[in-house]
Amino acid sequence: MYPFTYHRPASLDDARARLAASEDGRPLAGGMSLIPTMRFRLSSCSDLVDLNAIDGLAGIERHEGGIRIGAMTRHAAVEASAEVREAIPALAALAGSIGDVQVRNRGTIGGSICFADPAADYPAGILGLGASVNTDRRSIAADDFFTGLYETALEDGELVVSVDFPVPERAGWAKFGNQASRFAVVAVMVSLAGGAVRLAVTGAKSHVFRVPEMEAALAADFSAEALEGIAVASEGLNEDLHADAAYRAHLVGVMAKRAVRAALAP
Amino acid sequence: MYVGQAILRREDERFLRGRGHYVEDITLDEPIAHAAFVRSPHAHAAVTRVDTARAVGMPGVLAVLTGADWTAAGYGEAEGVWPVKDMSGADARTVNRPFICTDGVVRCVGEIVAMVVAEDRHQAQDAAEAIAVDYEEKPANTITARALDPDTPLVHPAHGTNEVLVTEHGLKEETEAALARAHHVTEVVVPTNRVTAASIEPRCYMGHHDTVNDRYTVWTTNQAPHIVRRYFTKSLGIPEHKLRVIAPDVGGGFGMKLYHYPEEPLVLWGAIVSRRPVRWVGTRSECLLGDTHARDHHTVGRMAFDEEGRILGVKFETLGAFGAYESQWNASITNAYHFTMLSLAYDIPAIHTTVRGVYTNATPVDAYRGAGRPETIYQVERLIENGAHEMGIDPLELRARNLIPAEKFPYQTAIGIIYDSGDPPALMEKARALCDYDALRAEQAALRAEGRWMGIGMVAFFDMAGAGPVKMMNDLGAKIGCYDVASVRVHPDGRITVFAGSHSHGQGHETTWSQIAADRLGCDIDHIDLVEGDTDRVPMGIGTWGSRSLSTAGMAVYTAADRVVAKAKRMAAHMLECAAEDLDLADGEFTVKGTDRKLSFAEVANASYHSGDRPADLEIGLEETSFFDPADCTYPSAVHVCVVLVDPETCAVTLRDYWAVDDVGTVINPMVLHGQVHGGLVQGIGQALMEECAYDPESGQYLAGTFMDYAIPHAEDVPSFGLDSHFTRALGNPLGAKGAGESGTIGAPGCVANGVIDALWHLGVRQITQPMTPKKIWRAIEDAGRAQQ
Repeated sequence: MYPFTYHRPASLDDARARLAASEDGRPLAGGMSLIPTMRFRLSSCSDLVDLNAIDGLAGIERHEGGIRIGAMTRHAAVEASAEVREAIPALAALAGSIGDVQVRNRGTIGGSICFADPAADYPAGILGLGASVNTDRRSIAADDFFTGLYETALEDGELVVSVDFPVPERAGWAKFGNQASRFAVVAVMVSLAGGAVRLAVTGAKSHVFRVPEMEAALAADFSAEALEGIAVASEGLNEDLHADAAYRAHLVGVMAKRAVRAALAP
Repeated sequence: MYVGQAILRREDERFLRGRGHYVEDITLDEPIAHAAFVRSPHAHAAVTRVDTARAVGMPGVLAVLTGADWTAAGYGEAEGVWPVKDMSGADARTVNRPFICTDGVVRCVGEIVAMVVAEDRHQAQDAAEAIAVDYEEKPANTITARALDPDTPLVHPAHGTNEVLVTEHGLKEETEAALARAHHVTEVVVPTNRVTAASIEPRCYMGHHDTVNDRYTVWTTNQAPHIVRRYFTKSLGIPEHKLRVIAPDVGGGFGMKLYHYPEEPLVLWGAIVSRRPVRWVGTRSECLLGDTHARDHHTVGRMAFDEEGRILGVKFETLGAFGAYESQWNASITNAYHFTMLSLAYDIPAIHTTVRGVYTNATPVDAYRGAGRPETIYQVERLIENGAHEMGIDPLELRARNLIPAEKFPYQTAIGIIYDSGDPPALMEKARALCDYDALRAEQAALRAEGRWMGIGMVAFFDMAGAGPVKMMNDLGAKIGCYDVASVRVHPDGRITVFAGSHSHGQGHETTWSQIAADRLGCDIDHIDLVEGDTDRVPMGIGTWGSRSLSTAGMAVYTAADRVVAKAKRMAAHMLECAAEDLDLADGEFTVKGTDRKLSFAEVANASYHSGDRPADLEIGLEETSFFDPADCTYPSAVHVCVVLVDPETCAVTLRDYWAVDDVGTVINPMVLHGQVHGGLVQGIGQALMEECAYDPESGQYLAGTFMDYAIPHAEDVPSFGLDSHFTRALGNPLGAKGAGESGTIGAPGCVANGVIDALWHLGVRQITQPMTPKKIWRAIEDAGRAQQ
């Protein structure tokens, strides 16, 4: 690790001020990705602004429009939340599939989507469920939030405060994890709401993406069989030790069907 | 009797409460400085400049050292523990692993180019980053199968070849004849994947130079501290009596922590130069890269069968990776532990093997739990499995027809080794019953009809454990004596300290050695303490590796304890005015047979040290040492069976069941035995399904440098194991015990691989290179489908 100045502000305003005053400051949420990259000396910052002491950033609320999850809410809290399990069980399943118990007790939804790892689970949840990301400045639609490899629509110093999830009629989560890291090789979140289908894939490209052909087929017939014969092209898909592009393309089809079956499960 | 009882492990109290004492936990009166290393980022490169000027003046920096400094100091080279000659009679083309690059060429990623010693770890890292090294990249090869191709870059051009040595073993003409007259010949290309131990505790070393007394101390994560001390005479030229090597609690060794690694002499050198104790604690990435890797054989095997599926002969041609250098023991793997065991548990009349050791631009290979035998068993068993399918004979039935019958023991294999005892058919019958084999085959057929893929894998094998006797291991190439040592010291109060030359890094010697000693000494197990891992306290030792400690060090404990009893009985007989033969020793008391006259062990111990009233020729004191050279290796055997389910969509493997029936002779502690088998199985399963030290084939970059990419099994990846046993006594040691540390690891890769192939045979899949990851299984099914179209 390279040296940095550590801050632990008690308010969002204070955090913003400290980030603004720093030369190259970074906010710290759960630290499940940022801290390892810093320990590897792959990333560094002048100031680390720890958000963990700020009240009001964590928590899960059910309201008429859906579910609001605070940016600092831990994966374990989402996994265990009665509100989430009742309204969007697929989201609880997603949270429960992240990393291991230690990671889920520490990692946060806000940290995960801001880091925007190409194999992270939450981006598929955000995009597949059509959530909106609330920052200290604005609300960003899911389709606009993830813009590239480790890149999001966030501006310098902009902090995610919460995420709003609409409650779909049906939603399903299916993940095929890498044997080593248990990150997604391919994972799919599918949802059906008011006749509209969203199907988002993580792990397969530089960032999460939707599959319009599959969505159209599912809008006509929301069943795994409707996806039969719809293949995702392997061109442009990630290749690594654990999966080449052709196998990943195959897995997208398999996981999409499994996500639909999960959505239809009683 | 304590032997045979599942006594809870005495060491677990401290381990489970986080009170183990590891190298990183050691504190000293002086502040401890830290070392950091500059390592080659290239698989093969000329080092044209090492500029340390910036680093020298950085905050906290105490010393900056390079290969030029090493050479200037007149330090030495590593030395092989187990050199083997080429079959021509010439020495092998051995290039030992350098401690630090001194010849201007780095030959694998991670090779050390410079070292910084600083007040703290971060300062050391900062300064290491400030060292400017210029490299001129050279072509590299990390792939063993390509090592001897004509256009492959040479790792050591001075030798003109990447071949280290060639050896042949077995019956060449008979094997060729068997293949020529066979009813059926099976051929399989069976590479064994490169893996590493990934011990829970990374490698750590600390060095200290006591300039007042001119003595040196090294704390090390090592399995054989006396052997480390021996090789410091070569590296830093320190005489053995000047160096104390301490291996405290060590978190897993698996053979990987057996060597005099580069960082070990370097930290002591750093301590000498900086006049401060210096410690290095390996990071996980440094260890996944720099710990010795293992296996990495490329083998072509052919097996000849008659009409009934009886094996007539088997022939192997193997390229065995060394990596970029000889680590220290690697030549022993292919040339002592691999070829010797090629008969497995089968009565095979003709075996022939040719092994070519080869250099590649990869981390040096050396022993890892099983060392040679996982490859052997995997290779032979893959041939048997394919042969059974090709001939349409049930795989278990074909194996049963070929097992060595009990009445043939002692059994000399076609390769020349003599298995002292065993009963493979009994193991197979127990395994058949344990797994309910016929029901499994019926289930497999029913599932296949539903489009579900279930496979049943199995293996039947012998292990060569208990490295020793000295002469036999010398004849196989060992330059160290393969005996072991124990002292039993009875204190005047009757309590006992046992000093053993073995080292426990997970094995539980504090429990099992005490069980042996307590039985021999007729005392309470709680009256015994064990000391290991300190060359100043333990007289000598060869260390714990190769499933040898029980039949060598354990037997030394047994023998030294018996000598103590013999001496104590003479003292007791004098005190009780009877003959020594008339005394019984039990429950801490000497009793004159048939009488109620008795003395406590403590009274006799006290008199042994403090009484002048003693036999004239009986020396004062009560302490005995045994240097125990066993009569033979031990030959444990086992049959494993597993059930795998392959997901037809994702091609992920679920290992549903695993059964192992072991013959390890006399069991000291069945709970410890089961722990050994469980841990071994998991490591073997990891080799079969997920572990791989992967290199980029083009650049030679290492791709598995963290646990994000190097996959090791999680608890959820393995089933609850079904274990049974059928014991035959070992003949080479009075305990009748056989080594048990490696049985799981050596059997599982072949067993699981056969299960996967059995699940996919109907799809046309004939072989998949390990690890059998979902990606590779999917590809194999795709390819088989295309081939069948």
